[in-house]
Amino acid sequence: MASEAYASRNPDQVHTDVLLQARQACYKARDAFYDCVKNQSDKKPTELGCVGLLYPAECKKARLAYENSCRPSWVKHFDRLYCKEKRVQRLLDDKETRGGV
Amino acid sequence: MASALSRTVNHLRKAYRFANSHHVGQFRSLTSVPPSSVLESLPLFRSIAPLDFRIPPISIGQRFLFRSIQTASPAGTVGSESAKKVEEAKPDGGEKSGGSSEQGGEPGKPVRGGPVSWLSFVLLALTGAGIIFYYDREKKKHIEEINKSSQAVKEGPSAGKAAIGGPFTLVNHEGKKATEKDFIGKWTVMYFGFTHCPDICPDELQKLASAVEKIKKKAGFEIVPVFISVDPERDTVDQVREYVKEFHPKLVGLTGTPADIKNVARSYRVYYMKTDVEDSDYQVDHSIVMYLMGPDMQFVKFFGKNHDDESLADGIIKEIKQYQGQQVKKGAPTP
Repeated sequence: MASEAYASRNPDQVHTDVLLQARQACYKARDAFYDCVKNQSDKKPTELGCVGLLYPAECKKARLAYENSCRPSWVKHFDRLYCKEKRVQRLLDDKETRGGV
Repeated sequence: MASALSRTVNHLRKAYRFANSHHVGQFRSLTSVPPSSVLESLPLFRSIAPLDFRIPPISIGQRFLFRSIQTASPAGTVGSESAKKVEEAKPDGGEKSGGSSEQGGEPGKPVRGGPVSWLSFVLLALTGAGIIFYYDREKKKHIEEINKSSQAVKEGPSAGKAAIGGPFTLVNHEGKKATEKDFIGKWTVMYFGFTHCPDICPDELQKLASAVEKIKKKAGFEIVPVFISVDPERDTVDQVREYVKEFHPKLVGLTGTPADIKNVARSYRVYYMKTDVEDSDYQVDHSIVMYLMGPDMQFVKFFGKNHDDESLADGIIKEIKQYQGQQVKKGAPTP
């Protein structure tokens, strides 16, 4: 899968990694990874994914699987979305502790 | 009160007739008799009521005219006194003259009221009422017009149509040339995206495919979904073919040269731009919208990302029904 993503830019070749099967696999791996991160949220995030996403070492395996199933630009895209979501969550949750807007 | 009113009106009427017939004669007699008082008063009259005017303002002229006749006849001194009275009475505006006219009214001569007489009140009231009624009628007419026109507009689709759509020349997923003429006669929903889209385009196309099925089940209308790529460099015909066949058998995929894509995106007001360009990969940022085009390839309605497939199907059915209703009114055949 990953090798195909880095295959030579042959214009006649169909990029199968964006077709249905590949997409489904990517989504699954992505969800698995993010679930892992959520489950292990009490652990200290030490590893660094792209775009500044931190995740604990326990999820490293899931991360590798995720990076393999999806195109790198997709990985970045999903990470960015996830960080945005987390930021919004943090804003909503920490309202009491921070005090004030 | 009423009798006095009628008396004054009668007197005034008589006075008018009097003035009309005797106007010329009286003035001549005035000039021929030169007691000092009258000479004094003459320039007054000249300034007040120019003697060139024969007809209006009769009321002012005849008032002072008869005053002077009265005063001129008895004696000079009395005349001068009353002339002075006239002078004072004029700025007063008629109250004094009204008062002194009471004296003059007794021997049966025409009563000179002030400038504000009962007749003038009546005229004013009539004019006022007339104006009010006239403008009221005009206003009602205007409001009716507005109501009518706004109703007529509500029946139609909207206040005018957006200038979206236009001719295009692209290649469909089977490799054949496709223009907008190929879609005339059918309802189409066009979606702009690219195959390398991580999540949005697949979701939208899935939604579109499901909506097409729902519409077929609910109302029996045949809709042609169209996918136009905004990433012509990577989306070749083969790529597009493989992509669209996974969603719906009727989904038509269109691609073309970058210039053609630019053309069609411009005519449909679709924004698209390459973002985070890595060494071999990039994303394309684009507007997420579906355009519903009528059987004559005229723009009808757009649907954004906020609709789910249910509301999308309902919206499309509603638009088609409204369009067909309009066609029936026009008497044209419905496709």
